[in-house]
Amino acid sequence: MSATFLRLTGMTRRHGSRSVVDDVSLDVAFGEVVVILGPSGSGKTTLLRLIAGLDVPDHGEIWLDGRRVTERDRRLVPPHQRRIGFVFQDLALWPHLTVRENLGFVVGSAGVAKAGRDERIRHTLALVRIDALANRYPHEISGGEQQRAALARALVGEPRLLLLDEPFSSLDAELRATLRGELDGLQRALRLTTVYVTHDREDARALADRIVEMRHGRIVAVHETERRERDS
Amino acid sequence: MWGRGSSRTLVIGTALAAFVVVCLLPPMYMLVLSVAPAAGRQSAFAALLLDTRQRELLANSALLGAGTAILATIVGVPLGLALARIPLRRKAVLRLALVAPVLLPPYVAGLAWIYLGGSRGLIAAVAGRDLLSDWTYSLPGAVIVLGLALYPLSMLATEVAMRRIDGRLEEAALLVAAPGRTLRRITLPLAAPSILAAALVVFVLAISELGVPGLLRVRVYTTEVFTAFAALYDFGRATLLALPLLLLSIAAAVVAGALGGERLLASRRGAGVPPLPFEAWRRPAGAAVSLVVAVALLIPLAVLGREALGGPSTRDVLAGSRDAIRNSLVLAATGATAITALAVWIGYARARSRPRVGRSMDVLLVVLFALPSTVVGVGLIGLWNRPGPLGAVYGTNVMILLAYLARLVPVAALALAASVRLIPASQEEAAAVSGAGWLRTMMHIVFPQIRHGLAAAWVVAFILAFGELGATILVAPAGEATLPIRIYTIIANTPSSHVAALALLQTAVILVPLAALGLTLSARENS
Repeated sequence: MSATFLRLTGMTRRHGSRSVVDDVSLDVAFGEVVVILGPSGSGKTTLLRLIAGLDVPDHGEIWLDGRRVTERDRRLVPPHQRRIGFVFQDLALWPHLTVRENLGFVVGSAGVAKAGRDERIRHTLALVRIDALANRYPHEISGGEQQRAALARALVGEPRLLLLDEPFSSLDAELRATLRGELDGLQRALRLTTVYVTHDREDARALADRIVEMRHGRIVAVHETERRERDS
Repeated sequence: MWGRGSSRTLVIGTALAAFVVVCLLPPMYMLVLSVAPAAGRQSAFAALLLDTRQRELLANSALLGAGTAILATIVGVPLGLALARIPLRRKAVLRLALVAPVLLPPYVAGLAWIYLGGSRGLIAAVAGRDLLSDWTYSLPGAVIVLGLALYPLSMLATEVAMRRIDGRLEEAALLVAAPGRTLRRITLPLAAPSILAAALVVFVLAISELGVPGLLRVRVYTTEVFTAFAALYDFGRATLLALPLLLLSIAAAVVAGALGGERLLASRRGAGVPPLPFEAWRRPAGAAVSLVVAVALLIPLAVLGREALGGPSTRDVLAGSRDAIRNSLVLAATGATAITALAVWIGYARARSRPRVGRSMDVLLVVLFALPSTVVGVGLIGLWNRPGPLGAVYGTNVMILLAYLARLVPVAALALAASVRLIPASQEEAAAVSGAGWLRTMMHIVFPQIRHGLAAAWVVAFILAFGELGATILVAPAGEATLPIRIYTIIANTPSSHVAALALLQTAVILVPLAALGLTLSARENS
């Protein structure tokens, strides 16, 4: 891992007089998995939304692959042009679309040629092992299957950066461990630059190359993990 | 929680019985009366339906309803979207201004339309010749007037539906698609059931309307029912003519109720923060809102004002209608109080019923609200105009109050059910566990939390009762008139300035409190 893919400099986001994210600077290398660890209200979800372009900082800049995409109070590149895959905490699967249509909306928006869309969707569903559920609606599949569908939707657009906001928080321990292992395998196979937000130290240790700890909107510690040491 | 012998059973049971007598019996009686076998009745019914004139009535009614629903949706949906998703300045005040047209009786807008485009209207006066009167007195004219009166229903349903959408669903789409595509493929499909339900409600209200088609000389079922009853004194014919209207309304309202139910009125927010991806549309949206407020509210009021000032003395006109004005105010206030008092228990029963029962109640309430006012009027006459104690009520102002109750309890109950549902049932359980009886729980736990909903239900009931015409004109006792009846009956033989002055007075009673509320909201926004 070498060149920086994502760079945050002096990011601050205030809600009223309270700084939710306070002067955060961070570099993430190509293919690296950074886990942001912190308790509720520490600003980690807001940081993820700022990176995605769903929110705008009061101060600071965001650079993606050498291009400045956000500066103080202004989006220079809108979210849909950043090629980001995002798995929300509540998954946000579109309830009026089947699993296949959820992925179809993404590839259709990305301008993938019609001829290649079905194959791309089939391949991605197979990757997360829910190809048999393509024609089901989100409410017709289990919680774990919904997690896989949300991950497939995030991956099908072939993003350059994957953002995950506590995606396994609502699952039981067993299923959580299974999905964590699968996500780890996928990330290694695809070499996707990933920022993963969680309050669970076990998730962090299993997935992270680096763990960034946040408290009260600030970065208070950065640790390298065994995973990085194993990889290097 | 509370046993069958508790005060809850007594109060809710009594309220439901009153609801059945006041709201359900009149249309059911009319339905039974119109289909009951009687000598020559079925052949008369067949003749009525096969008559070319009746087929024309059916076509006109359907076109009026469909045209109005389409126009109201075209105008209302973008406005609802603007209110829900675009950061407009003074949004609370804009919303009130945009809602105002639906609170005015539609015939007031119809009058303004005539004074603007009629053969002696403002446009003819400015142009020096009659340009528009053929078009003014036409089906498209009625569609425009009703579309501009009823678009707020589409607008509010769209805004409420969009606010209920989980913001994350749109955010997830915005990560891969431009705002326009997100709107088309994610937001609007999610809001579509509510938009469609609102369009059906508009359709039913348009085919139920008597005042506007009557003024613009468009022959539809409601005008024909009114003529059969009031001019020809043929109750049997009025009943038969009301039947297709009743069936059409029920069919549309059943679908609307199933699609929307109390969600048409409840403004509970979805999870997450709704994104505001349409900031760039702020200026065009502001211009569109101003245009609609001007066309649907300000221009009609200005036209009425100009017409009213053209007459001799407004004071004389008002003095001549003093009894009707007083009658209207007293009856609307009494009616609104009775409506709220009954609707709160019906709304509570709906809110606390099992899901399947609740959905059925939603459908029933939407159907009853959508019943044409003339159908309600004919049903009330059939039910109460008979010898004995019931006959003692007929011929008094109580009939007008019954008409208000029959028409407006369902909508007030839907709104109050939405308010009650916001209170978790566990709060009542906590009160029960601590030893409180049901009435005490209602007084100290439930009512204080829905007090704004109760106030809003009273105000809306007052406004709608104050403008009610279709049922009132049929059941009002001889010699007793409300302001809408007086306006409607003097149009043909009174100078237009007098009619315009009364219509303006009617408008003022509705809009002055609304403007005061707007100023309060504006001051709150500024602070």
